[in-house]
Amino acid sequence: MAKKLYIFGIGGTGSRVIKSLAMLLASGCKLKNDFDTVIPIIIDPDTSNGDLNRTKDILKLYQEIRNQVNQPDDFFGQEIKTVNELANKSSVVNSDYFQFNLSDVDQSTFAQYIGFNTLDEEYKNSKDDKNFTRLLYSEQNLNSNLNVGFKGNPNMGAIVLNQFTDSEDFKRFGQTFNDGDAIFIVNSIFGGTGAAGFPLLLKNLRGNRDIPNSAKIQDSQIGGITYLPYFALNKKDEINSDSFEDKAKIAIDYYNRTIIKQRKINSLYFIGNRGNTKHLEYAVGGKDQRNNAHFLEMAGALAIFDFCENIDKTSGETQIKEFGIEKKSENIVFGDLNLNNQKEIAKPLTKFKLFSEYLIVGLPKALNTSRWTKSNIKLVKKIENSFLDKQYFNSSEYKLQIDSFNKHFIEWLNEMEDNKPAFSPYNKINWGDALNLIKGDEGKGNKSFKSIDIENCKLITDIGFRSSPDKKHTTLIKVFGNSTENVLIKNNLLKQENNG
Amino acid sequence: MNDLFATIYEALFGLYDSQFSLIFDTLYDYGGYNLLGLTFIAVPLIMFVCFYLLWKYPYGKLWHWLLWLLIAFLVTGGISWGISNNEIFLSDNQALIDALADPESGYEQYANTLPLLYALFNGLLSVAVGFIFSLILKQFSKIQIHLPF
Repeated sequence: MAKKLYIFGIGGTGSRVIKSLAMLLASGCKLKNDFDTVIPIIIDPDTSNGDLNRTKDILKLYQEIRNQVNQPDDFFGQEIKTVNELANKSSVVNSDYFQFNLSDVDQSTFAQYIGFNTLDEEYKNSKDDKNFTRLLYSEQNLNSNLNVGFKGNPNMGAIVLNQFTDSEDFKRFGQTFNDGDAIFIVNSIFGGTGAAGFPLLLKNLRGNRDIPNSAKIQDSQIGGITYLPYFALNKKDEINSDSFEDKAKIAIDYYNRTIIKQRKINSLYFIGNRGNTKHLEYAVGGKDQRNNAHFLEMAGALAIFDFCENIDKTSGETQIKEFGIEKKSENIVFGDLNLNNQKEIAKPLTKFKLFSEYLIVGLPKALNTSRWTKSNIKLVKKIENSFLDKQYFNSSEYKLQIDSFNKHFIEWLNEMEDNKPAFSPYNKINWGDALNLIKGDEGKGNKSFKSIDIENCKLITDIGFRSSPDKKHTTLIKVFGNSTENVLIKNNLLKQENNG
Repeated sequence: MNDLFATIYEALFGLYDSQFSLIFDTLYDYGGYNLLGLTFIAVPLIMFVCFYLLWKYPYGKLWHWLLWLLIAFLVTGGISWGISNNEIFLSDNQALIDALADPESGYEQYANTLPLLYALFNGLLSVAVGFIFSLILKQFSKIQIHLPF
């Protein structure tokens, strides 16, 4: 039975993990146990947040590309949809629907949001008074603009996020929920939005009777990943990264009492990094908060795969899992990961890396020269002519969708390489030694992009790879899905993964 | 085949000269035409089988195909020069040997011009045959199907 996985990404970390998941899904990684559709739901009051908007853009591009591929089964194999598309049975791609809207947070301060000015100064004659509120919230809290998030203050987030379950978006989520569907929540424990949103969301999922299909949701499998501190900031101001660890300890204690011991969640993953972390550029939120991708966010996405794979193995107790790597390293390569993770990501990521790099470095040599890019071959059967001609590569669909997505993919890998610990399994690529890309895996045979062009020439006439006017990317995605795999096998690269 | 090849060289290209019929009779009777004919067929066939079915170079352009054709022309020409030279000057036909040895007959002078002519005409034939083979073999090619056009 086809099942859906709803992934709630709360705050900036939630957005970035969903971005990593989208990259892995684009590479061809797939959820197991019949989960055929992923529904990302981002909860973040900081609507102009750079990470959020980048993730929404990537998800939109993913959908646009996938919609243009006939029966995708490798790259972009997993379906991603918005709650709105499911509820309205529409196929209109709109990135705004990846985010649940929080009302009244746009231009108001926290004080305005809670109606602080309507409270009485005189505590003796009033039921609600300002002084009690001041015990809970500082002046800085009260004057904070909500449109940049909660600046690491979960006490503010707990109030504002409590309203999102009343929203139309949340009702639509309930309407689309079916038996067998599951939920996964991504949050960070050391910030504001994520730390506050996770327990609130879980409380509503497990107990709010007003949500449509609440009984199904209440009994569904729910997993989550909570991020412990894994980066620091280069400035101490409203947000001070020195407090991340203390805040994390307090929150874990709270989670332990209210979530884990009460068996509110089936599987809870913890992940973090102590010690040598990168100091990121300070930003309280908004478009300036655009943190570089981090290996731990990809590891978080792997937790989602693990959750789906082991969903039938959960007992009544909450399963607690931690992510680890086999060899401690500041420059993580595939060989440092455990075997399961290697098998899961090494081949798909390498294939997509080859695909995206090829289109930048390799294509100019082949375009309008190699037969797989020619559509005007004379005196042959019509099927011998390629859809992937100069016109296709100059089309707006290619430039705005494929090219844009691939730039995000390369940027994502580069950012992970630039972070601490670095995820850097690849060498720099140039045309002549493109297949020498995997660190520590020399392989054999011709190392240049010529190998891919040869495979493309062989595959271009495959009847199953034919594009049509409404499925323009079918040929490109399917040919490269196969050609990159073939060259990895022929060059004896990723032997273990290929055998697995 | 012998008749066909003889017709090509003697009638089509007009190489036959009744004054020196001993040479053409020898080429006909001793299998020289067969060898020359097989050359202009076999050389481009082998070369274009290699070009279309064995050469795994995905960036082939028209000039690659033209170069291949030129090589076919030169190889065929070279082999044809050797064959015609052998068949005429190292022939077992005693009458032709005697004629070539007689300076008064003019045979030797005339015969010396023939290998180059056979080389040239066979080269041209190999180009024509190569073009036809290209149109056929490209149908089975995965990499060079777009050549020559």
